[in-house]
Amino acid sequence: MKEIIKIDHLYKSFGDVKAVHDLSFHVKEGELFAFLGVNGAGKSTTINIMCGQMSKDNGSVIIDGHNLDYDSDAIKRKLGVVFQNSVLDAALSVYDNLESRAALYGIVGKVFRDRLSVLSEMLKFEDILKRPVGKLSGGQRRRIDIARALFHNPKILILDEPTTGLDPQTRKILWNVISDFRKTENMTVFLTTHYMEEASEADYVVIIDDGKVSAEGTPLELKNDYTGDYITLYGISQDEIKLLGTEYEAIKDAYRLFVPNTRAATEIIIKNPELFHDYEITKGKMDDVFLAVTGKKLVGGVEK
Amino acid sequence: MRTVIALIRRNLKLFFKDKGMFFTSLITPVILLVLYVTFLGNVYRDSFTPNLHGSFSLSDSLIDGLVCGQLISSILAVSCVTVAFCANFLMVQDKANGIIKDLKISPVNSSMLSMSYYIASLLSTLTICFAATGICLAYAAFVGCYMSAADVLLLLLDVLLLALFGTALSSIINFFLSTQGQISAVGTIISAGYGFLCGAYMPISSFGTGLQKALSFLPGTYGTSLVRNHAMQGALVEMNRQGVPMEVIEEIKDSLDCNLYFFEHQVGIPSMYIILGGTIVILIGIYIFLNVMRKGIRK
Repeated sequence: MKEIIKIDHLYKSFGDVKAVHDLSFHVKEGELFAFLGVNGAGKSTTINIMCGQMSKDNGSVIIDGHNLDYDSDAIKRKLGVVFQNSVLDAALSVYDNLESRAALYGIVGKVFRDRLSVLSEMLKFEDILKRPVGKLSGGQRRRIDIARALFHNPKILILDEPTTGLDPQTRKILWNVISDFRKTENMTVFLTTHYMEEASEADYVVIIDDGKVSAEGTPLELKNDYTGDYITLYGISQDEIKLLGTEYEAIKDAYRLFVPNTRAATEIIIKNPELFHDYEITKGKMDDVFLAVTGKKLVGGVEK
Repeated sequence: MRTVIALIRRNLKLFFKDKGMFFTSLITPVILLVLYVTFLGNVYRDSFTPNLHGSFSLSDSLIDGLVCGQLISSILAVSCVTVAFCANFLMVQDKANGIIKDLKISPVNSSMLSMSYYIASLLSTLTICFAATGICLAYAAFVGCYMSAADVLLLLLDVLLLALFGTALSSIINFFLSTQGQISAVGTIISAGYGFLCGAYMPISSFGTGLQKALSFLPGTYGTSLVRNHAMQGALVEMNRQGVPMEVIEEIKDSLDCNLYFFEHQVGIPSMYIILGGTIVILIGIYIFLNVMRKGIRK
């Protein structure tokens, strides 16, 4: 698969603060790529550099074959960005906002109206086109943000914490739309989020800390490398669980054992078949991966 | 070009839909109007009456015409600049609330963005100032301001030039601003201070000699003088027709800033146009230079 984003040895400092320090990662075309890190880890700086909003000190950024140093306008046409906070004009209607933003890409007249019709149907905002953006609910506004980002059919959609503060139903609608676009347009999605369940759906994850890559891989690889497995045992007494000689915790109506990996779990089960009547084995979560990699918990993007 | 037109439309819609920005831009002309209607008009009327009535026989309507000319010239001279600043604050608001990021992630050229802010601010300013000119001329027609058609046309030209000047000046100052606090601070300073600096609230001739010399370096004062000359010319000619000698009229013109002096040298009206026009060209040049420099720095 073609690598659509190639970032190599990227450096950016603000005075003595090294915001990004020798950062390198590649993103394959069509994949859902999760870029994780606590606030101040260097995520926004990297995104700002990719979007041409900020200069870099050193390194190379190549997006869809275009070098940022020489061809930033071509790169801007490939990118659609949903910012953390809505950056549409609150006083203008949804229609006026989208019309003015589409014109930035030369999309006007019938082409604009056709595209608006497609997106408003997909994102379900046909009935609020005349309403001022400032009077929309958080979920409605987010849908318009995404429509704005998708208006020029970008090859890469950058989502900077897109679902923060949204209700589950709106989150579901947004992810369904994004998923449809990925399938139909082979669109690459570059996601930053502090919802680990969203990150666990990614094809590839990069975790950065202090401006450097701390870990990367598929969610499965990261879980295998940085967390163990859990065995949850039902219908068993505490005396029996103690016989296994493994670290455990009591949870509601069950006990949970911590094992290094699935192989270790299998060995315990084979050695003690009489205790394993009702049980389940689960992999560690992305929260555990993040904690193991950075030593920090990601709660609302804030280091804990 | 379509992109620039779309951006100008967006900026215009935002200015006229943002009630805060729109009404703030009208505060200065409204304050001036209230000041004149409540007491400043009477102050000027009283200052003309004893000085002239004793020696010459002037009709009350002529005195009203002089006061009216002073009123409308002050309102228009200040409004063109303060309205331009308010209209151009959109540029700063876009930076303050992060909207500029959304515009700049598109392939639109930053010079197009700057041009769209300038043209939209100019159009907003001209819309409001020409509307204000219309109201002022209607008031002048009601009171009797003795303005000829040529005076009216030249007054409209003065408003156009002052709007170009105000928009260019505000573009440069707003270029360096990026927060709501800075908008408030600059807005207050301009609204309160510009009227004094350009001689709209009080004639520059009433200030001390040093201050008069300092203010003669500011091009805005010549803009005010142009507006004043064309708003009062008719009344002054009528005054001469009613028997007031030219020497007295020249003294009145000195006291009202119709005549301006740069280190004892009287600045004629053609020179005032050259100063104002040249300043507009220089300010627009500086604005373009700043944008080019910023682009270079970002690269």
